Amino acid sequence: MSFGHGFLRNPDLFPARPAGEPWGDRELVLDLPGGPYGFSGLSADQEEAALARFGDLRLDSEPAVATTVFRAAAEDFLEIDTRGWEYALDFDSGPSSVRLAGLDLTGRLDWRPALRGALWTPAGSALVPEDRFPGIFENFCRVLVAYRLHELGGAVVHGAAVVDGGEALLFAGPSGAGKSTVARMALERGMTVLSDDLNALLPGPVLCGLPFTGDLDKADSRARYPLRALLRLEKDTDDRLRPLGRAETAACLLACSPFVNADPDRHAALLSTYLGLMEGVPAYALRFSLAGGMWGILPEA
Amino acid sequence: MNEDTVLKPAPDVRFRIVDGEAVVVRQRSSEVLVMSEVAARILTLADGVRPIGAWVETLAAEYEVDRATLEQDVLRFAAELAAEGILE
Repeated sequence: MSFGHGFLRNPDLFPARPAGEPWGDRELVLDLPGGPYGFSGLSADQEEAALARFGDLRLDSEPAVATTVFRAAAEDFLEIDTRGWEYALDFDSGPSSVRLAGLDLTGRLDWRPALRGALWTPAGSALVPEDRFPGIFENFCRVLVAYRLHELGGAVVHGAAVVDGGEALLFAGPSGAGKSTVARMALERGMTVLSDDLNALLPGPVLCGLPFTGDLDKADSRARYPLRALLRLEKDTDDRLRPLGRAETAACLLACSPFVNADPDRHAALLSTYLGLMEGVPAYALRFSLAGGMWGILPEA
Repeated sequence: MNEDTVLKPAPDVRFRIVDGEAVVVRQRSSEVLVMSEVAARILTLADGVRPIGAWVETLAAEYEVDRATLEQDVLRFAAELAAEGILE
């Protein structure tokens, strides 16, 4: 299926540039990794909804990445029966732009040369209730942060990040690998969990959680910890570590990198990023049981 | 699949050799695979021009293996990669 056909009535009419009618005159700057990120064109209700989710990250400063929120007509979007539906955004990327389409959202990222975002949504109109906006906003932010970190030499990684002795252990793996299980086990041991879902891996390499929805409460995205080790999760009945080579390490992280790893214009650069970031950082395949024996075999500071 | 078959990576497959292993990305599914040194070498030989028989000749010069066994292994591996949609 070509780009946008799963969500839009007329994908050929996708906005060719970041322009349109803003929802309102409200502006918001958020302190997310790679930012600050500015959002303008918000209505008062949209600002309130965004603040309800990300209010603790609000900043009073100039943004490094600016996004404008525009009105879209509800009629532009297909009506989708979401029962039993697995939601995935649709992407179309190029060297200087990325287009995305989803449930009641279209968006663009443009490099001219600095990264700018544009989000069109009907959320708040008579046909699309305002309470859809937080999810739409967060979905857009996930993509925006992933691409922003990529251009800064970092990445967004699916994983559970646990703090031990002032350093971070990153437990990575696909859905069902045990990230949330590890995070819960860590909490039960009194350890700090940065996130059980999405993390920002930044040059250093340092790790910080991203405040996007996981099974746990919102992550603290301002605290940064040096990365001690990567653990690729494999559920088992006992607990064992096996060192990973550079290829397996990079492949693990690449597989756990949302959005950018499927971008034909950027995945090769992402692989290079990981090879560089993980130079000198130990990585292991971790087979772990629910008995908790893994905590005794993890690499120490 | 035989010695005259010509294969190349599928359009959505990209790979890079890292420390002798191949990191293979299937863009359509965002799947990432790691393949052995020999598999990595075969991927580089699958250029859409040289037939499998030429791969065997090249590998026979690089590895000290029985020629008949090598041919069987390469044909089997090429068939597996084609079945997985990595080569076409």
